[in-house]
Amino acid sequence: MHEASIAQSLLDVVIETAHKNSVKSVLSVEVNIGRLAAVEKNSLLFAFDALKEGTVAEKASLIINDIPIVGKCNACGLEDEYDNFVFSCHNCGSYDVTIISGEELNIKEIEVEDE
Amino acid sequence: MSKKIEVEDKILSKNDKLANELRQLFLDKKVLVINFVSSPGSGKTSILENILPKLSKKYRLAVIEGDLETENDAERIRKAGIKAYQITTGGACHLEAFGIKNALPNFDLDNLDLLIIENVGNLVCPASFDLGEDFKIVVISTPEGDDKPAKYPSMIRASSAIIVNKIDLAEYMEFDVDKCIDYAKRINPNLVEFRTSCKTKTGLDDLIAFIETKIEEKHAGIRG
Repeated sequence: MHEASIAQSLLDVVIETAHKNSVKSVLSVEVNIGRLAAVEKNSLLFAFDALKEGTVAEKASLIINDIPIVGKCNACGLEDEYDNFVFSCHNCGSYDVTIISGEELNIKEIEVEDE
Repeated sequence: MSKKIEVEDKILSKNDKLANELRQLFLDKKVLVINFVSSPGSGKTSILENILPKLSKKYRLAVIEGDLETENDAERIRKAGIKAYQITTGGACHLEAFGIKNALPNFDLDNLDLLIIENVGNLVCPASFDLGEDFKIVVISTPEGDDKPAKYPSMIRASSAIIVNKIDLAEYMEFDVDKCIDYAKRINPNLVEFRTSCKTKTGLDDLIAFIETKIEEKHAGIRG
């Protein structure tokens, strides 16, 4: 359950951003999580809700965007989506595929109360 | 009324930043750092007990042990004559960079060639946390089943080498070593492979030779 550590790190960044911008209340937090990031969505939501209590983000909902795995074949150049973890080019079969997206564990933006 | 603030930051930015500071420190001190990851009971500590006494004849070594509780593994390493420091995570399923940073005052990095981090037994969580290591070695043992790499692809992707351990039991466990390594290499074609048994002492010399090469590369200033 490393989602608790990830939720805490996420909250740390959110709280820091809120303080820097003199924000009173965070309404939502949007994150991009790649399918390769090995994060269980429900565990992350659960941990976020438990840890946000008593912080500037206690009213915030967590919006998780699933980012698909996209790889580019270095042999034939095909750029394609992969639905499993075996990166054999769908065109030429090469395993020399560079992952372009799907590893994200990023915060995108936060929505805050504006006076 | 509400407004949006763009953040565009990695969630684990603090861990990653600290890990990069550690990586630079290890580079300056020319210390090779290897992060050993696996399920519980795969034989990480047994492998270390077998290879470290031989490596210590030529190099200066130390081990950081990560476990939820107990000093047992650190004591096993100390009995093999190697300096070991135990981090007990108190329930956390992985080590984080700050834990490594806090452990470092226990070591003299100026007089060290190799630092081994034996992570908490877990094939999921340690994949996400950079510790500033040069590379990860993942250990899979034959009682676990030969499709383990297919079940835990993130860790296979994050690792530079794979050790299939307890190969003396492969026959009884109906574990196909070639199939296991084939699964792993389909996920990560660049994996270096080792097949070991601490019982029959098979494959351990290959692993020692690999680590020696990496220590020499680090001394020469080549990044791992």
